[in-house]
Amino acid sequence: MIGFILADLRRLWLGGAVVVLLVALATALGVAVTLQERSLRLGSARAADKFDLVVGAAGSETQLVLSSIFLQPAPLPLVDGSVLTKLAADPRVDWAAPVGFGDSFAGYPIIGTTTKLVANTTTGFAEGKMFALEGEAVLGAAVDLPLGAEIKPMHGTAETGGHTHAGPAYKVTGKLQPTGTPWDRAILVPIQAVWHVHGLGEDHGHHDDDEDAHEGEHHEGDGHDHAHDGEDHHEDGDAHAEGQADHARTVAEKPAPQSQKYAFALGAASSAHVEEDHHGRIDPDAPIVETFGPSTPGLPAILVKPKTIADAYRLRQEYRTGSTLGVFPGEVLTRLYATLGDAKMVLSAVAAGSQGLVAAALVLVTVIHVGQRRRQIGALRAFGAPRASVFTIVWLELFLLVALGIGIGFLLGLGAAQIGAQLFTAKSGVILPVGFTREDMRLALIFLGFAAILAAVPALLAYRQSPATALRA
Amino acid sequence: MLPLKIENLAVSFPGLTTPVLAIETLDIAAGSRVALTGDSGSGKSTLINIIAGLERVRSGRVHWGADNIADFSEGRRDRWRAANIGLVMQDFHLFPGLSALDNILLPALLSRVANADLVQRAQTLLSTVGLKRPEQHIETMSRGEMQRVAIARALLRQPGVIIADEPTASLDLESGEAVGDLLLSVAADAGSTLIIATHDPRLIERLDRRLSLRSGRITGDTDTKDIAA
Repeated sequence: MIGFILADLRRLWLGGAVVVLLVALATALGVAVTLQERSLRLGSARAADKFDLVVGAAGSETQLVLSSIFLQPAPLPLVDGSVLTKLAADPRVDWAAPVGFGDSFAGYPIIGTTTKLVANTTTGFAEGKMFALEGEAVLGAAVDLPLGAEIKPMHGTAETGGHTHAGPAYKVTGKLQPTGTPWDRAILVPIQAVWHVHGLGEDHGHHDDDEDAHEGEHHEGDGHDHAHDGEDHHEDGDAHAEGQADHARTVAEKPAPQSQKYAFALGAASSAHVEEDHHGRIDPDAPIVETFGPSTPGLPAILVKPKTIADAYRLRQEYRTGSTLGVFPGEVLTRLYATLGDAKMVLSAVAAGSQGLVAAALVLVTVIHVGQRRRQIGALRAFGAPRASVFTIVWLELFLLVALGIGIGFLLGLGAAQIGAQLFTAKSGVILPVGFTREDMRLALIFLGFAAILAAVPALLAYRQSPATALRA
Repeated sequence: MLPLKIENLAVSFPGLTTPVLAIETLDIAAGSRVALTGDSGSGKSTLINIIAGLERVRSGRVHWGADNIADFSEGRRDRWRAANIGLVMQDFHLFPGLSALDNILLPALLSRVANADLVQRAQTLLSTVGLKRPEQHIETMSRGEMQRVAIARALLRQPGVIIADEPTASLDLESGEAVGDLLLSVAADAGSTLIIATHDPRLIERLDRRLSLRSGRITGDTDTKDIAA
């Protein structure tokens, strides 16, 4: 019987191929939507996994999470530096680390942070070592730069009209192992370097520490120098300030850097003129200091690792008042997923609709097909093939085609989701785990069950056909 | 080797006032060779369908040996036909994409009765009907060769009755004659009852008996045995 079916399918290969293709495309659509949505959910949840609590300035919770965990470029309001000091000293906090962003290099975001955060959120170094000096940088696994490379930070990004800071340059000292998060695409530098590049925290910052007294002087000098650098930056279209004015303003603002509420704004071209106000220099050889005094500059976000879950809830509650905003990234993501879920429902409905259309088209095609094959089916019966055999032949032929289409559709859907995930990973660094689960197995079984019923329609027509009428036709 | 006995057979189609076939009584002896003639619309094909068990008998009795196939269910008729009737059609009804051998075996395979003996018999039948390449695909064959394959298929399960519907009508003169020879000789060898619906006068005259149909009734029943012999 299989031989006969195969011979038959070989004869009708073109029509069969079209049926397979139709089914495959309709299946792939649904499968891709499901897989993509699930991998996005899993991948983003994993990316947020290491970050229990994020504290930022009052504003959008979603934006805070997107910027601090997914390193999405957007202007964030700054939280007062004293918040970090307070958190770092809090007995309920295991560690608290500042995150400063705004610069980029070759499309990779430059993130200012601390050794503590790097040590606690990664699995270690693939090569090299942690930054120890202000002018050193550590690369995420996906940053395609060699050890020892020199990194000149650019304010904002190239696409959004950023410009290169003239003075500062970091030297790469290490490369981290992959974490599967957007941080793989980040260039990690000491937070104080970010402050200094942007002319913040020089007079304050770590000055509470006596060991660092000479540093301040050094930076003071830098601060005065940087006005000349200012000249270099005037290619910016909206650079309205001349060198002198620029300088004056920078100096004026330096004592109160916290007033810069939107300074660390990555990517927003409109922020360029704000940036004009505070060029700075780093001292590449200065040792890094990670104790933050009360005059720490403003920060876009602070990542906090509470000691216990209870502490986490208490801390979040405490930092949800007034000017600060504490969020659990997981919670914010859950809310995002709810939105994503709605979108998925719409897409799934579209996919289901197309699958329904394909199913209807298949019924039509096969009913016509059986009509055209009346003679053949009748002849089979006339020569003694039992009705059950005729039913099985017609049923199996269509079922095989549809099952093949479903199989190919699942592979196509997987491939599409994987390509989508790779594109997404290349852009965001978030590794999206695309893969089948038991749920998909169920979907496949449902599809196959549906195919079995679908194939029974023409098979039943063939079954009911009298051999004599078939031969007359 | 089954005798046929038809009593009070009437076949009507809805919308027609007169039956397309009405036979009060007809006997065909086991092992006899009968020609069935008549113009199109005479009821010839209907009679073939009825006696081959392709169509349900609603009124009357059709006995093949001890069995009244009018009493059979559709499934039972299928099984009975597969075991007892060898059918040869004008259009061969072979299945493209399959070899000659597979075509011969197909009905047996689909009825799940094929075994080594039947495969062996199929090979033998192929040489009986004068074909040398069992693996040749039927779409590459001439029409005469195709009808030979069809005859081999009809003979596979050693049916007691061979029914042929215009077996030579779509063949050229020479092939038609060869196919006629073949049908007669295989029926004679097996002792099967042979019923052939045909217009072919040369084939008719080689059969024992000629039944003429017109408007669904038997209008002539001549013995041609002496001539055929």
